[in-house]
Amino acid sequence: MGGKEQSRRIRSVKEINEKIKRGDAVVLTAEEMIDLVESSGLEVAAKEVDVVTTGTFGAMCSSGAFLNFGHANPPIKMVRCWLNDVPVYKGLAAVDGYLGAAAMSETRGFEYGGGHVIEDLLSGKEVELRGESYGTDCYPRRHVETTITLDDLNQAVLVNPRNCYQTYDAATNSSDRVLYTYMGTLLPNYGNVTFSGAGQLNPLCKDRYYETIGVGTRIFLGGGVGYIIGEGTQHSPQGGFGTLMVKGDMKQMSSRYLRGASFYNYGTTLYVGIGIPIPIINMRVAETASLRDEDIYVKIRDYGAPLRPDLRPVVRKVSYAELRSGKVTINGRDVPSSPLSSYKMALEIAEVLKKWILEGEFFLTEPVEPLPKYREVKPMKLRRRELTVQDVMRRDVVTASPEDDIKTVAKKLVERGVDHLPVVDKDSRLLGIVTSWDLAKAIAQGSERLEEIMTRRVITAYGDESVDVVVRRMAQHNISGVPVVDRFKRVVGILTTDDVSRRLVGRPTG
Amino acid sequence: MRLRLIYSPKVVEKPILATVILKTGVPLNILEAKVNAQRGELVVSIPAKGEKLQRVISLFQDSGVEVQLLTETLQIDLEKCISCGACISPCPTGALRFRPDWTIDFVEEKCVTCKVCVKACPVKAISIP
Repeated sequence: MGGKEQSRRIRSVKEINEKIKRGDAVVLTAEEMIDLVESSGLEVAAKEVDVVTTGTFGAMCSSGAFLNFGHANPPIKMVRCWLNDVPVYKGLAAVDGYLGAAAMSETRGFEYGGGHVIEDLLSGKEVELRGESYGTDCYPRRHVETTITLDDLNQAVLVNPRNCYQTYDAATNSSDRVLYTYMGTLLPNYGNVTFSGAGQLNPLCKDRYYETIGVGTRIFLGGGVGYIIGEGTQHSPQGGFGTLMVKGDMKQMSSRYLRGASFYNYGTTLYVGIGIPIPIINMRVAETASLRDEDIYVKIRDYGAPLRPDLRPVVRKVSYAELRSGKVTINGRDVPSSPLSSYKMALEIAEVLKKWILEGEFFLTEPVEPLPKYREVKPMKLRRRELTVQDVMRRDVVTASPEDDIKTVAKKLVERGVDHLPVVDKDSRLLGIVTSWDLAKAIAQGSERLEEIMTRRVITAYGDESVDVVVRRMAQHNISGVPVVDRFKRVVGILTTDDVSRRLVGRPTG
Repeated sequence: MRLRLIYSPKVVEKPILATVILKTGVPLNILEAKVNAQRGELVVSIPAKGEKLQRVISLFQDSGVEVQLLTETLQIDLEKCISCGACISPCPTGALRFRPDWTIDFVEEKCVTCKVCVKACPVKAISIP
């Protein structure tokens, strides 16, 4: 089918709305559309179906709400504000604030954050408000403490700068320890794969070329009615990473579709439910609206490498169908896979939106402006090259050989004033490590040869690794130094916490 | 399987338990009961498995009763659970999996109480008694 044929108008949004008003619009969920295309073919489905409803329910950290608390008497210009100990952004007028989903409680940390406050407000719970100010002639009050509910607020408007990723790369972990990430728990040695996104139900996959979705599109948001107000941050549709900025009146929403959540050792977030109706205006939209999980591919990235998201090594490409099957093949081995976003809730949202339209409560809109179809995502521009291990490490490493006698080694440590002694073979390849503490213990216990006491499983670093990454590694293993090795395991230097702190103190601040 | 049933003030006076027994024919056994005018909490044991057990659970939920699965190993709070699946692939023994309707199924025999799922759950729906 040629491009012209594909874009030939089948029906307009206006015609669809007239049918909704009359009660004879044909509305299918994306799953039902897929079934219809499989049984009757695309031509028939496109002719019969007016609207395909979509849904997604996943963790969306770039979410939050603008709140207006109303004025106290005497009034206060709050410069700092907390709800249930979660800081609210106060760079706005006296009693306006923005509560971000990823803001964490100052008393409960990872357990409770902005997302949970939003859920609590929606469940009708009372929330503790605390505000501070310096006092002005017009706003003399300096402190306020009270409890509020959603009803007490003048406005509570959900405004989410980045929601509804079209697709999202899946995650695995090649390293030798468990990682707790925003992609959930990743077991060592490619122990599992996690993924996010509703795949064949995802709104942006179903209008792949952004022909019907744009600024002003009316949507299901958190159980109420919301609108698309623009492209989301990091919108990059050409590679399958389109995103949306959305808003809606929180007072219409429900805690069933906006859930506070926390990812262990990562932080807090908000699960957001979004559903978008796709009007079947031409064959191209009909075609993308019937894409299946089998047709939608993402990359599996290795979170074992502590790198910028787009630089994390790609393990392989995979379809949502394979991800959703519960196992994925990596290096010839079956690895369990599971989602972080809820397919069950995504389906429910597509069903609810369908019901709204069939009952004549929800009408479709034409976009006021289209969304960009191409956007580059740039990395953060860094002023200085990242400090790497080879910038800070010491190259004159004192080493020992496994046959060395313990007393000689102890003497060497004292003379050279070092605490860490890599043990190497005759080609300088790393065999183990001993510390001054190990030596003291060995002398006390009467051990004689270094081989008997050295640690063989050594935590190491490479010269080109970022110092921050290696400092975190040392903290995690509760050690104060690492030998620096090349790709042949030859010791080329040593990095200790002392070296790092000396360097940091001396680092120019300007 | 043992269940904890939590009755809110709205439903505390309705004969829900009896209705479930009559509808399913499953002879539920009450192990613990704390009931007053505001709230009721029952622990019951259910001699049923698979679909029959699922039907008992659904009947309670449809009547407005909050249902918690009580197991020796771990408890899944079905009111909190959003059926995301974040607990499934981290489970080293395959004790957690999806049912065909994309809700979470817990296979107690396989569980070794390693608690990986407790940390993995983003909505704190899983706990160890």
